[in-house]
Amino acid sequence: MINRLIDPDQGSISINGTAITSIDEIILRKNIGYVIQQIGLFPHMTVRENIGLVPKIEGWSHDRIEERVKELLTLVHLPPEIFMDRYPKELSGGQQQRIGLARALVMDPPLLLMDEPFGALDPLLRRQLQDEFIGIKEDIGRTIVFVTHDINEAFRLGDRIAIMHEGRIVQVGTARDLILSPADPMVAGLVGSDHLYRHLENLTVQDIMRPVSRVCLLQASTSISSAIVLMTDGGEEVAVISDGSSLSGVVWISDLLRGGRLSGTVGSYARSPPILRPDGTALSAISGMKADGDSIALVMNGEELLGIFTPDEVLRRLV
Amino acid sequence: MIDEIQTVWIRYNLTERTIEHLQIFTIALLLAITIGVATGLFLYRRRRYSPPVFSTLNAVQTFPDIALLILLIPLAGIGTVPTIIACVLYSILPIARNTYTGLISVGPELLEVGRAMGLVERDILMKIRFPLAFPMIAGGIRIAIVFTMGIVTLGGIFGAGGLGAPLQTGINLMRPDIIFVAGIWVGLLAVILDGIAGGIEAELKRRFGSW
Repeated sequence: MINRLIDPDQGSISINGTAITSIDEIILRKNIGYVIQQIGLFPHMTVRENIGLVPKIEGWSHDRIEERVKELLTLVHLPPEIFMDRYPKELSGGQQQRIGLARALVMDPPLLLMDEPFGALDPLLRRQLQDEFIGIKEDIGRTIVFVTHDINEAFRLGDRIAIMHEGRIVQVGTARDLILSPADPMVAGLVGSDHLYRHLENLTVQDIMRPVSRVCLLQASTSISSAIVLMTDGGEEVAVISDGSSLSGVVWISDLLRGGRLSGTVGSYARSPPILRPDGTALSAISGMKADGDSIALVMNGEELLGIFTPDEVLRRLV
Repeated sequence: MIDEIQTVWIRYNLTERTIEHLQIFTIALLLAITIGVATGLFLYRRRRYSPPVFSTLNAVQTFPDIALLILLIPLAGIGTVPTIIACVLYSILPIARNTYTGLISVGPELLEVGRAMGLVERDILMKIRFPLAFPMIAGGIRIAIVFTMGIVTLGGIFGAGGLGAPLQTGINLMRPDIIFVAGIWVGLLAVILDGIAGGIEAELKRRFGSW
């Protein structure tokens, strides 16, 4: 509908504020790359001719077309000298879809529509093309509207995800928005909000940490006895110790109790935990901590404490 | 045996007759291709006309060729012209039908992609539909070749010249040797031409076939 192959019955679509119905459809389409699941390479044309069809109609010179085709084939990781003159039937499904993508990019369109481009591929190949696609997406820096039925594909590839249901956009947001605050039960069911543990890869450390507002903070000079009282009253197992304005580590209540001393300050029991970046994935954070045998990590943005990350907290948040 | 064939061949000018035959054949076939492809294209553009036009062409096809030649006598007399007309009338159907079918049976995903690329209908027709219809059209032409071969021969009996003429002579003179030589030769010629057309069709299929 965005490229006006179908005109909407109701509502309107605008690109950068211009209603698409006010743009000549041929011009509109030439500015929108289009990739579909069935790929639709023209069987009677070589790879070069398939990619170069629109440039040829636009009157590009032979050399310019050839150069552009080579450039695009390199972009999609197919050596031009091998693939330029092949016919589509001489290519595998994955290669064909890469050519499909190269063809869509030939006029360097500001917008790219991809309609389930990886839907017909086997899971391994799909995964591989998704990885390549993430790279290509960065390379070309274009707006891409990517349609998929696979929510995990959306999470992996999408920066912003719009959920459509019965012809309406139900919710637009990042993976985090959709998982943690689904707009309605349908979205919750779709993204699996009640099975958050499945989303460790899609969620960041920041999403499931315990934020600093709910963290027990103690000065290093606090006496052990008052720390035990404070932590027990607050039901805290662990507290973050700061020394003046800088953080000096964390202290576990079990350490304090085991130490058996009531005099002295908590500073002497401080341990220095690993530091996590807020935008790392929860999965890599947990596996890193598991590998190092850590049971707590501080989430820091530069010098600023954002929260703490503990497996307990993760479990509580996810289940 | 060879001597007898040679005698008949020379005595009844079979070389000239063959050339004459192939001339009529070529003119008829080229006309049939032009009209047939144009008809197919026209029907593709105006699809609602296709049922009546194809019914009419089918009706022409069911008409016995000899009856058609006789019917053409009051209109075009006898000789080369009515023969060519008859050939064309018979050959339009397979060519037009295959052109039409070839043009409309292009994969919908190819048309979708073509349109989405910003191709106008003309480009889609010339760069996508037609090339992909080539093998189909060639198949239609191949059928037309066989029809035309037969009718040109028949036309010879009605004064059109070509290889039908010595056959007629053989029948009149009750000379099986002439009928035999000319008949076998016409048959061979048809097989050769069909073979060539088949080769071209296979090549087109390889080059333009969908998969």
